[in-house]
Amino acid sequence: MKLDAKIPSGPIEKKWDKYRFDLKLVNPNNKRKFDIIVVGSGLAGASAAASLGELGYNVKVFTMHDSPRRAHSIAAQGGINAAKNYPNDGDSVWRLFHDTVKGGDYRAREANVYRLAQVANGIIDHCAALGVPFAREYGGLLANRSFGGAQLMRTFYARGQTGQQLLLGAYSAMMRQVAAGTVKLYPRREMTELVMKNGRARGIIARDLVTGKLETHAGHAVLLCTGGYANVFYLSTNAATCNVSAAWTAYKKGAGFANPCFTQIHPTCIPRSGDHQSKLTLMSESLRNDGRIWVPGKKGDKRAPGAIPEEERDYFLERRYPAFGNLVPRDIASRAAKTEVDAGRGVGPTGQSVYLDFRDSIARKGEDKIRGEYGNLFDMYYQITDENGYKAPMRIYPAPHYTMGGLWVDYDLMTNVPGLFAMGEANFSDHGANRLGASALMQGLADGFFIIPYTLGGYLAGNKLEDVADSDPEFRQAAGEAEQKFKLLLSARGRKTPSEFHRQLGGVMWSECGMARNEASLKRALVKIPGIREEFRENLVVGGGAEELNQTLERAGKVADFIDFAELLVRDALERRESCGGHFREESCTAEGEARRDDAGFSHAAVWEHAGEGKAPLLNKEALEFEHIKPSERSYK
Amino acid sequence: MSDNKFSVTVRVWRQAGPGGKGRMESYKVPDVSPDMSFLEMLDVLNEDLVRRDESPIAFDSDCREGICGCCGLVVNGDVHGPDEHSTVCQLHMRRFRDGDVITVEPWRVKSFPVLKDLVADRSSLDRIMAAGGYISVNTGAAPDANAIPVDKDDAEEAMDAAACIGCGACVAACPNGSAMLFTGAKISQLALLPQGKPEKARRALAMVEAMDAEGFGNCANEYECEAVCPKDVKVANIARMNREFLLGNFLSKR
Amino acid sequence: MDLGFVKRVIFTSIGRKFVMAVTGLALGAFIIVHLGANLLLMKGEESYNGYVALLLANPLILYAELGLAAIFLLHIATAVWVRWEDWRNAPSGYEERRWQGGRTLGSATMLYTAIAILAFLVYHIVDFRFGDHSVGFYQMVTAAFRDPVFVGIYVAGSLALALHLSHGMQSSFQTLGVNHPKYTPFIKFGGLLVALSMIGFALISVYFLLELDHRKAEHHYQVAATEAR
Repeated sequence: MKLDAKIPSGPIEKKWDKYRFDLKLVNPNNKRKFDIIVVGSGLAGASAAASLGELGYNVKVFTMHDSPRRAHSIAAQGGINAAKNYPNDGDSVWRLFHDTVKGGDYRAREANVYRLAQVANGIIDHCAALGVPFAREYGGLLANRSFGGAQLMRTFYARGQTGQQLLLGAYSAMMRQVAAGTVKLYPRREMTELVMKNGRARGIIARDLVTGKLETHAGHAVLLCTGGYANVFYLSTNAATCNVSAAWTAYKKGAGFANPCFTQIHPTCIPRSGDHQSKLTLMSESLRNDGRIWVPGKKGDKRAPGAIPEEERDYFLERRYPAFGNLVPRDIASRAAKTEVDAGRGVGPTGQSVYLDFRDSIARKGEDKIRGEYGNLFDMYYQITDENGYKAPMRIYPAPHYTMGGLWVDYDLMTNVPGLFAMGEANFSDHGANRLGASALMQGLADGFFIIPYTLGGYLAGNKLEDVADSDPEFRQAAGEAEQKFKLLLSARGRKTPSEFHRQLGGVMWSECGMARNEASLKRALVKIPGIREEFRENLVVGGGAEELNQTLERAGKVADFIDFAELLVRDALERRESCGGHFREESCTAEGEARRDDAGFSHAAVWEHAGEGKAPLLNKEALEFEHIKPSERSYK
Repeated sequence: MSDNKFSVTVRVWRQAGPGGKGRMESYKVPDVSPDMSFLEMLDVLNEDLVRRDESPIAFDSDCREGICGCCGLVVNGDVHGPDEHSTVCQLHMRRFRDGDVITVEPWRVKSFPVLKDLVADRSSLDRIMAAGGYISVNTGAAPDANAIPVDKDDAEEAMDAAACIGCGACVAACPNGSAMLFTGAKISQLALLPQGKPEKARRALAMVEAMDAEGFGNCANEYECEAVCPKDVKVANIARMNREFLLGNFLSKR
Repeated sequence: MDLGFVKRVIFTSIGRKFVMAVTGLALGAFIIVHLGANLLLMKGEESYNGYVALLLANPLILYAELGLAAIFLLHIATAVWVRWEDWRNAPSGYEERRWQGGRTLGSATMLYTAIAILAFLVYHIVDFRFGDHSVGFYQMVTAAFRDPVFVGIYVAGSLALALHLSHGMQSSFQTLGVNHPKYTPFIKFGGLLVALSMIGFALISVYFLLELDHRKAEHHYQVAATEAR
């Protein structure tokens, strides 16, 4: 696999300008002759479709939902970063760049991150112009807050629904292009195959989820904006239908999959209540500003929290990290909670949670003040658990939340497959091994609004693309493969539902390859996962037919891909014998148990290449060089 | 949290496909935990149906935390279930008792044809949005975000309207099947913001005409929509839409 | 001459609701004046007949009457159209349906109160507008008010009107886009007052049915008390 990141030469501040100047342009009158296929309609997909439509390209947008506005970007709560420096607290493009590289634990590409920081300001401008109702000060100008442990107020927000508002903004821009005729929507469609011709991505096979019919769509480029794969853990904060299938299909057609083991765990989620649990709900980590996290000091203490006296409580974050206390970064807070639970000090009926206690802040500030700041979160907690967080401490536990890994892309956001682009959470992204709060929304919109409109033009103008038609043999063959896939799933006549397999897989992934991983656990996973795959082949039951709305079949397809993908994720985790960001290898830590990075051995992106069915994937490496931000140890003591 | 498992009977609308005839069918669900969400209860039932080689109940849902707008069921005659201002995915089984018979139906609105069982096609709402639910600004053309100050109260009110999740509950609850709360919320949001003012007349006229073309009913100001809206979007938005439409019709050059 | 804006009034949902609201408010204004006139009945024959004579002396009265009729017909025709559309588009087939608290008795019964009002109106016009005016207007009206059957119908009509207006008044303002956090509570309260005042029609007829006017001459004191009630 040839990995050319195409990082432009020159000083980092000038790279993007210079690169854009060097890109070939598509004549305005010719743009409508290019068919662009966009898969996914979240922040990246919707913003790309809108911008490309505005330029005059002929865009087709595919979404598995009934409406493009349902994409999971909608659930993001906190905010979006940009280095506007409106609060006059010393922010700059350079500082946002610096914080993102450092926050990512030095596993991202400097040039990409710098560009992200550069275009972020334009996102805020554009979204304000699109009518996103950002929070404002009385003077009418935009409000900022500090988020996710950032030392600056660079986060823009729209109440606790920033993702929703940004997505609806991008969606509205896209709908304007639908009205203009440049964008055509294909809702309730799932991409099932990527179609290649002469080594280039030239189209997709999509399944109409209502009729079950397979459709062929040819185009000049395919943009995958299909989100992350946190649902490989079964229980995550992702929406129920989030999946890896589109990216996995691309991987099997030759696209490199980079750093799949970089997964992010969010510390303040509502714990699971039983086997029926279908997903986990995240509560904003702003709760940690006023809540104190603790467990009983004694193992197996079953007393009610109120009955445990102060001296028998262990405020473990405050104890271990006196400087940052309860505000340590996500990965550290999550692992600390796991350590306590693993030691038998977890609380609640399942023993799989820790307390988040507002007693002291209520005593200090008053219940009204706390209600004013977090009322909606307390309500949400009550609705799900039937417990009153004002009277007794909340129970929280970490949950998978975001995935930094994804399809490898170059500076153009193009995978190693010509004509196949990946954007937003679907690519291996600018977040390295750990994403900072309020940076996911920034990246999705940066990719769609401000990067792909240029780089896609460069690809289209710089390459001679022959005509393709969806009657070409490549399309017929891909459609045949897709048909075969569904036939196979439907032919199984076992006893276990796709969800049962998904739960089983998730259990393995969470216990062996979750918040903390070690060689032994990963090797166990590499034995268990093929076992699940084996049983999946023999003991699956789906029911119904292919040519109808069949949600069990949809789920079976997703689970099948998750099983295959999980193995790659574990393999990557095993290969990366260092701890960095969201990837914590127990073998690689300091004497105090803190993560230890190994820059000499692992300062690279691990890019996995499909070697064929049943063969071990090949590992390729893109070396990462840090010219501007010198790697240092993250310390929060 | 409790271990008090109980059983309920769900009476569900089953319909094989678009345009087909449907019927109510009853299923017993044993071992319901009070901590289950309503949709998780349906998940459990569905898995059981799949294992028994029966057809599972199709229903839409995704985020399961009340923001994506996918889910939408009428439970015992209540749009989105008995909890006020919440989506059905946020409803929990502790609201029910052992032996309860629970009626579960899809949105029954002409403009949202049922595709299967509890799945309705709400693409008519997207078509209303395409008619004008946007501000016409191209990527790259925007001035600095702080170049145009926005009255904080207006911004807050715009946010109240923008909180709409497009679930269609307002239409399902309306005695006339009107989509005016949905349409009014978007027209309001954009009319309140200075960025949206230049094309507010065009927007109001076009969106209302598109809404009518989709065959939604008329608003009789009964405010059932506001009562069920999971995001508490207010009918003041309908008034603002009326105002924008009438001013647009009589005073603009269109 | 582009008639697009007129077409929009006729052929869009909000346009038709605008017609409903404007005609409704005009009819509301008329009915309040009508109530004022009826109050003159209680002042006595001279006052009432004097007012009627003043009206009849106005050369524009016929046009005013025709205008009123036109507004009425427009209100009714638009209502029929709107209702027909609602009937076509309304959700139907729910096995179970519970109202969520937005509906009021007034709003839920608009169609029925409308039919009742219309029926009453036809009867009322036939009886009074085209009735025997030779005895004098005061005599004609008060004679009718001493007939229990007539008063029964009249009371029912005014109650239907009150119920109709309890929703119609505030609804008209909402339709015209008049909704403001400060003023809407006043509008709703005012609408309710107007609706309640329609009971005044009923009270006046009952006043004559119980022959309270006869006692008035004897007991000024008591009459004042009755009115206050």
